[in-house]
Amino acid sequence: MTRREAPHVKHGKSRKKSSALTAAMALMLIYTLLPLAWLLINSTKDTQSLFSSFGLSFGHGFRLWTNIHDVLTVNGGIYLRWFANTVLYAVVGAGGAAVIATAGGYALAKYSFRGRTALFAIVLGAISVPGTALAVPTYLLFAKLNLINTPWAVIIPSLASPFGLYLMRIYAIGAIPDSLLEAARIDGAGEFRVFRTISLRLLAPGFVTVLLFALVATWNNYFLPLIVLSNPRWYPLTVGLAQWNSSATGATGAGSTSFYPLIITGSMLAIIPLIVCFLFLQRFWQSGLAAGSVKQ
Amino acid sequence: MRRRFGYFAAAAAVLTLAACGSSGSTSNTSTSSGPVTITFWTWLDTSSTQQLAAEFTKSHPGIKVNVVNAGTSANEYTKLETADKAGKGGPDVAQIEYFALPQFALSSQVVNLNSYGAQSLKSLYAPSAWAGVTINGGVYGFPQDTGPMAMFYRADLFQKAGLQPPATWAQFASDAVIIHSKLPKTYIANMDPTDPGTATSLMWQAGAKPFQTAGTSNVTLNLSQSGVQQWASLWSGLLSKKLLATDAGWTTAWWSAMAAGKYATWITGAWAPAPIAANIPQTDGDWKVVPMPQWTAGASVTANNGGSSDAVMATSQHKAQAAEFANWLNSSPQGTQDLANLGLFPATTSLLSNSGFLNASVKVLGGQQANKVLAASASEVPAGWQYLPFQVYANSVYVDTLGQNITAGTNLSPGLTAWQQRIASYGQSNGFTVKTGS
Repeated sequence: MTRREAPHVKHGKSRKKSSALTAAMALMLIYTLLPLAWLLINSTKDTQSLFSSFGLSFGHGFRLWTNIHDVLTVNGGIYLRWFANTVLYAVVGAGGAAVIATAGGYALAKYSFRGRTALFAIVLGAISVPGTALAVPTYLLFAKLNLINTPWAVIIPSLASPFGLYLMRIYAIGAIPDSLLEAARIDGAGEFRVFRTISLRLLAPGFVTVLLFALVATWNNYFLPLIVLSNPRWYPLTVGLAQWNSSATGATGAGSTSFYPLIITGSMLAIIPLIVCFLFLQRFWQSGLAAGSVKQ
Repeated sequence: MRRRFGYFAAAAAVLTLAACGSSGSTSNTSTSSGPVTITFWTWLDTSSTQQLAAEFTKSHPGIKVNVVNAGTSANEYTKLETADKAGKGGPDVAQIEYFALPQFALSSQVVNLNSYGAQSLKSLYAPSAWAGVTINGGVYGFPQDTGPMAMFYRADLFQKAGLQPPATWAQFASDAVIIHSKLPKTYIANMDPTDPGTATSLMWQAGAKPFQTAGTSNVTLNLSQSGVQQWASLWSGLLSKKLLATDAGWTTAWWSAMAAGKYATWITGAWAPAPIAANIPQTDGDWKVVPMPQWTAGASVTANNGGSSDAVMATSQHKAQAAEFANWLNSSPQGTQDLANLGLFPATTSLLSNSGFLNASVKVLGGQQANKVLAASASEVPAGWQYLPFQVYANSVYVDTLGQNITAGTNLSPGLTAWQQRIASYGQSNGFTVKTGS
């Protein structure tokens, strides 16, 4: 009705709105990309030009390759070790978290059993407890199990993703029709086979979403590994880079070698895998995010 | 145990330890089963320190040392505290800064080294370093390095402004006006809103003793005493006249400003030349060092800023061997020389009076024989200063209280009051009796 009455006004209005929106998004884009640009530009500088040239312009000489070489070789190549650790923690931790959350969310959505509501309420409650608050209790617990200073101390806590479980339950309710499961059962499929061959496929977008969430969380995990690991050979990149950073700053006995180019170049290299993951998996991410938000 | 002492006797510097080691409380079960491996947490360069430890093992074949960088300063302290709570996972020896040592000593997380003969080592160290590890009558660490204060200044900028470096704080304040009017991009100094260490050290120089602990839990807190007020009124005045830069230290912006000559002076610990040389080599030769400005003309009073000790942890299973190593590292000629080569400012009197050390010319300071100034400073540190048994916390909230005033460029008094309140309430809720003076 309204559209037919005043199509031009409406059209003009929406166009105006969208240019304002575009400008706002452009600002947002600049805001988001500026730190990345800074990181890229400054990873091409040596210490001297880092501190004598403007942050967003190049310094004298292009030292990116030298810097990368330094990052990869300093302290016997410890950076590569940190990188491998991070990949290990992210793949095992986030992969495991996604698998467990998918299986658990599916079970909570599709099976009715005693205590299901209570269990789900506990999971919801667990989302509101920040992981940082649990780091010290986790340490004390793992100390009793002799797991501190081992990769398990980082991997095991990452396996639990209450938010993932919550998301997968919501997603499973929407994505898997009960009638489909009934049909499969009538045809004689066992419960595990139903899950593996039918449900898992339908849950794939949700699975990838949870995987990405968990991947980002474990890749950026800082406080837990900081507390439970004391051997640099097991550090992930976050803790290792923070250690370089504090080596560059004022505490006694530190600061006699310049770590700044290493920190900047190391940080730049550390974010590349996440960017690649996002570029490849973002289609799933988007469809996963929308899932459960619309009632069918 | 007895068999082990045969090895120990080799090093003269540690004879005292070996003699007293038998009174140590460790029940060392692994003596008969080959060498003991101890873990040393330090944020000194890992590979150089590991080489140093290998030297130690040569003369002490029974003790191997595993050097681990478990984090710097507060990061390491968090881990030490957590490991202590769990009763395991911590090191045998840990680097702990002087400001944090009372916290670990009074809560018995580190061992009183008098059980390992440390009291006889007193004469080896500069009195200010020894005072830093002496807490409540016990000795809780071997001094590793110190930071007697001095004023590093940009000779090139002072020359441009036609000034001599100030000898008193009054001159410092008047020079602040001149230098900023002649060189508008330059300030007399940077007041770092994130650096409680320098602030407390400057209070120390002004004769303040704002933190005093009696026994293990009776804390007297007084940030309104005259020394603190003297400090606050000088810096408040400079802040209100916009004569100071107020950048957060050790950031890339701060180093850029250091290189560009935004700060004419850097009043800090004797360790400063190493980071300057490493990070802004383009200013090589522009710097010089003189004694820090005085409150009374002609006086020579300094303070310590920074410096670490090596302590033996209470959870260690090999306390005697740990003490042995920490002692060797920080008192043997070889250990102390190697530490100095890493760029640390020495804590031992033998190095501080060594002519080679005193006459060395420091490149970044234009070839000046800077150690003469710095070693003199080490002997002019007033006695009686103490840090809180929860200084790590106190320092962490400095930026929220005084730091806010500094950044805003306003009077420091409300910040001091707020800081005192935060410190007092933390102490009270953690089982300390806190008396606040006024």
